[in-house]
Amino acid sequence: MNFFTDLEGQNNRPAHVASWSLVALLLAAVFWFGFSRLGYRFAWGTIYDYRMNFLKGYGQTLLISLFALVFSIILGVLFGLGQSSRILPFRYLSRFYVELVRGTPLLVQILIFFYVIANAAGLHNRFVVGVLIMALFSGAYIAEIIRGGVDSVGETQRETAKSLGFSPFQTYLYVIFPQVITRILPSLAGQLASLIKDSSLLSVIAIKEFTMAAREMNANTFSTMEAYIPLAIGYLILTVPISRLTRYLERKFSYET
Amino acid sequence: MKLELDNLSKHFGELKVLDRVSLTLEDVHALVLIGPSGGGKTTLLRLIAGLEKPDGGGLIINDHPIEFFSEESLREYRKRIGMVFQAYNLFPHLTALQNITLPLVKVHGYNESKALEEALILLERFHLADQAHKKPAMLSGGQKQRIAICRAVAIRPEFLLLDEPTSALDPEYTSEVLDLIGELRDEGMRLILVTHEMGFARQASDYILFVGDGGLIAQGTPIDLFEKQRDERVNRFFNKVLKYN
Repeated sequence: MNFFTDLEGQNNRPAHVASWSLVALLLAAVFWFGFSRLGYRFAWGTIYDYRMNFLKGYGQTLLISLFALVFSIILGVLFGLGQSSRILPFRYLSRFYVELVRGTPLLVQILIFFYVIANAAGLHNRFVVGVLIMALFSGAYIAEIIRGGVDSVGETQRETAKSLGFSPFQTYLYVIFPQVITRILPSLAGQLASLIKDSSLLSVIAIKEFTMAAREMNANTFSTMEAYIPLAIGYLILTVPISRLTRYLERKFSYET
Repeated sequence: MKLELDNLSKHFGELKVLDRVSLTLEDVHALVLIGPSGGGKTTLLRLIAGLEKPDGGGLIINDHPIEFFSEESLREYRKRIGMVFQAYNLFPHLTALQNITLPLVKVHGYNESKALEEALILLERFHLADQAHKKPAMLSGGQKQRIAICRAVAIRPEFLLLDEPTSALDPEYTSEVLDLIGELRDEGMRLILVTHEMGFARQASDYILFVGDGGLIAQGTPIDLFEKQRDERVNRFFNKVLKYN
């Protein structure tokens, strides 16, 4: 009986289950060993006292991520296409934006946006600030995803549209975008997962999202593990389904050439 | 159709693909361009299609000069001609039927039902109705090219340009595509065809241009070109392409 290798054309389900369990067990053993050396005494009761904080924070993280995703898609389309715009100031604005945001740490962006830009603009609603920061951050990555998607629709497609008398705008609308959307859906889903995790950094400017709930509980009760382990599980509950969705979308659209 | 080239030039860097080519054809129905690879026949066809801009000279079709430097006027011109590419270039996200109806609706202002009707008549006629709702990835090369030809003729073009329409096909599909082109020709569709199919060129054309070395090496009716001419370069080309025919 073969328990360790995946053979082509064979449905070897028991082997997959066995290997999956083996890895899970090994991980559990490592963690169990680590915690036993630490001699940590868990006091799970504390998290129960903070449950409302956690739930509200979870909701905030979800809301911030979803709003930020919508705005970052708008920014991504604008600046993704802007990078090859004929209007030169717009082209260079797009390139500066993408390079600056992708080339600097999110933490720095959060602090600068919060203490400099938001402050100067008189923007004090932290939820709005959080959404804006995450949208600006994620928008630069989506701009690159969209630029790559548009570039991947070959020159021949554009030329064919041209030969049929389509205007450049019609070419984008009817020929390029429909193909780009199916191609970039998996990457966009992945970007949502990143947004959810990256929004945890917003806790440094005291936005009451999921990670902030854990930080607060830790600061008040010193129950570090009881705060951060549920936090990790909370993020996984969101990101694992998204990553499954990403794989599904990749398979679904892979037939297109 | 009347075709005039007036000192037409096209360069790619140092390479002069077309160098001051002049020609006047009064009333040609089926013009075939032949010649060695890289000799400029596809470039000439793409100039006629309004997809390339010349580096000098002009192009006059049916007494209308093509205005290469007005994108607006070029687009109006492209709307009136049909173009078929070597690699079919169907839109992969659309079904065969949608590939035909999209330009009709969006470029030519047909309403959906009229466009559908026109497209279905064409597909029916060329025995492609069963493929109407398939995407290009599910079609054979021959089917793809025949649908691409339907897309090009659906707009009722003044003339049809075909750039090596059978070069990417398996031999078994070549004849079904050539049959279709021949059928269109017999109905009076004007066409300009770049091809390596010498048999078809000879049978279907009423005038042939042999393009190479930056210009027209030879030209004439099929009989002139295949039987009477004596140019060394043309003979060498025929010897090569006809070696195994």
